Amino acid sequence: MTDMMGSGAISYTPTIIADQMISGLNTDEAQQATLEEQLSTGNSINQLSDNPAGAAELYQLNGSLARAQQYTSNATDGTGWLSLGNSTMNQILSSLQSVQQIVESVSGASLSGNPGAIQSLAAQVTSAQQELTNLANTTYGGQAIFAGTGNVSQAYDQSGNYVGGGSAPTRTVAPGVSVPVSVTGEHVFGSGSTGLLGSTGILSQIASDLQTGTTASLNNVETTDAQALSTAMTQVTTVAAQMGSDYQSMQTFSQQATDAQQTLQTEISGLDSTNVAQASTQLTEAQNSYQSALWATSQLSQESLVQFLS
Amino acid sequence: MGDLALSIAASGLDAQQAAMDTISENLTNASTPGYVAESAQLTTSAGGNVLGVGDGVLVTGVTQNTDGLLATNALQTQGVLSQSTALQQILQGAQSVFPVSTTSGIASDLSSFWQSWDAISQDPSNPAPRTQVVDAAQNLVSDFQEASQQLSNLQDNAQSQVSTSVTQANSMLKQIASLNGQIGATEGGGTPANSLIDQQNQIMGELASSIGAVAVTQPDGTINVDVGGVTLVQGTWSDTVETTGGTGDMSLVAHASGATIPTSSGSVAGQLAAINQYLPAYQSQLDAAANDLSSTVNTQLAAGFTATGASGSGYPLFVGSGAAGISVNSAIVGNPQLIAASDTGTLPDATNDGGNAQAMAELYNSPTGPDQQYQSLIQGLGTQVAAVNSQVTAQTSVANAAQDNLQAIEGVNTNDEMVQMLTFQQAYQASAKLVSTVDTMMQALLEAS
Repeated sequence: MTDMMGSGAISYTPTIIADQMISGLNTDEAQQATLEEQLSTGNSINQLSDNPAGAAELYQLNGSLARAQQYTSNATDGTGWLSLGNSTMNQILSSLQSVQQIVESVSGASLSGNPGAIQSLAAQVTSAQQELTNLANTTYGGQAIFAGTGNVSQAYDQSGNYVGGGSAPTRTVAPGVSVPVSVTGEHVFGSGSTGLLGSTGILSQIASDLQTGTTASLNNVETTDAQALSTAMTQVTTVAAQMGSDYQSMQTFSQQATDAQQTLQTEISGLDSTNVAQASTQLTEAQNSYQSALWATSQLSQESLVQFLS
Repeated sequence: MGDLALSIAASGLDAQQAAMDTISENLTNASTPGYVAESAQLTTSAGGNVLGVGDGVLVTGVTQNTDGLLATNALQTQGVLSQSTALQQILQGAQSVFPVSTTSGIASDLSSFWQSWDAISQDPSNPAPRTQVVDAAQNLVSDFQEASQQLSNLQDNAQSQVSTSVTQANSMLKQIASLNGQIGATEGGGTPANSLIDQQNQIMGELASSIGAVAVTQPDGTINVDVGGVTLVQGTWSDTVETTGGTGDMSLVAHASGATIPTSSGSVAGQLAAINQYLPAYQSQLDAAANDLSSTVNTQLAAGFTATGASGSGYPLFVGSGAAGISVNSAIVGNPQLIAASDTGTLPDATNDGGNAQAMAELYNSPTGPDQQYQSLIQGLGTQVAAVNSQVTAQTSVANAAQDNLQAIEGVNTNDEMVQMLTFQQAYQASAKLVSTVDTMMQALLEAS
């Protein structure tokens, strides 16, 4: 019978045609499924094999994105600390300025020979000292900002002795970059007789000299004490400036981390987002092709010599 | 004279009838898998007549329309396709163990784990962020354990698939040997054993797909079955296949000879490749990532101090090794203050220092850390799946083409059969007409006398 089958070209038996139809339908269906997945998830990489190098890069980018988000969170936390730190420093300075005015007014008061006025000034200094001790114990989220890493809740005890320690905490705000979020109390207020607080501190010395009320002690207030206070205030001002600058850099890094997040997001979406226009067009094409294949399959084996023989 | 004409016409009737039988058989089996179209072989019967008129037509046999080369090609391409498809199924399973997701799985949990350390540094004396680190570590550990378990399940499934295939193959080898016996006996008796050969072909197709078997047709019509050069069926003798070894070194051996059977085709070859190479490689990369996690984190902790000022070297966060064996140190789970987050061991600073935790968070992209290893694992796996996907696509069209080429010869073309049916029908009618014509002639002769 082979000799009667015509020559040369492949003979298409109904089985071959059916197989080819089925194979075509399967291909169309698989292509549609891929495109539909891309459109429904919005991602072009849904499995590693969709784009192996892209999936690995995506992994790295997502890691960097999470890190950048954490930098932002760290910087926000740091900004909170420094913002509170700066306003506290301003209050400390204004409190010290009031003491300075008291010291400067001593000569007038002593000349008037009014011991009551002198005692009143001494009381004001003691009150300012108490206020400063309270300011030195300012907390942020329960953590004393001037205590360094040495103490959680308190930088100075009620007698004005420093109970904090260690170094100022920092926040990581960029790869390898840590910015301090505060300063230690000793750095701001000094310590011992050159420090502002405590029983041997400058403020105690001023109050004590005022209370003594002798010419010599009042003279002391105007000269030695005023000089010591001025030196201490210069230090406070310097530290305040330092904290202000840390605040600026914290904000700068915060902005950088936010920018980095946007850049990474853009890269990620460029890598992984479905090109909706392209995918929709391709899906339409695949659907048309599928429709045609379905139509052709429905025509399968309708036309055969069998129909024409009776 | 009338005798010869009648006997020629009778031979014609017989021959056309045989041809019609063949067409009927072909049409009925047009969609039977493995059926090979048959054709009646008609030849002129040489006669002893002095005038040289022949003795009519003779049916010398009914042969199968087959082509050995195309048949072998179809079997081989099918075997290669089955190999890639089997490997593809397993690798896609492995791929789903490592989802491309930013919200679940090892990738996202690793990222959360690293970030959780900065939370400690923001508030070192607060137990909450430390507990958060422990939780993140536990999530991560369970991810690793689960991934390892899933890979090991894939390994087990692949091995049991091989065992099942081998059991089926052994039964099929036995059937082929038994069919060899029947074919030998039938053909030896002078009758074509076409339907037995069809059955045997169908079984060979399955054997080629499963263990990559190759049929070698013998002169007596029987076949020998070889796999990778090892003969498993010869005549009515058949050997059985056994599996040996396990993860990493599983192979097939012939029972009688004990010879190792090399597999390079068929689904079993794909499964063995997964069992011996792909899955163990993924497992060991996953183990390496878990070990890198453990060593990176524990080394950094050893440089720090706990909240009570003790050296972190005594308090590793991760214990055990490998993805299945890694776990979170139960001492730290019980008391997160033992996390060595501090840079200093001096009290009270150690309680309130997060310097070491800050350093830990920065290790998220350490070149020796788990992320690098994990990234190379997913990239390698993705590349291999993509490669096997495109192999399957290419081999599917090759196998389909080979199958179509074979079908064009072996298959039943309904139109051809219908045309031939008409041809034989007319020939039959002509022979019948001849009988009645000779009858009329004989009647005329009888009436004339």
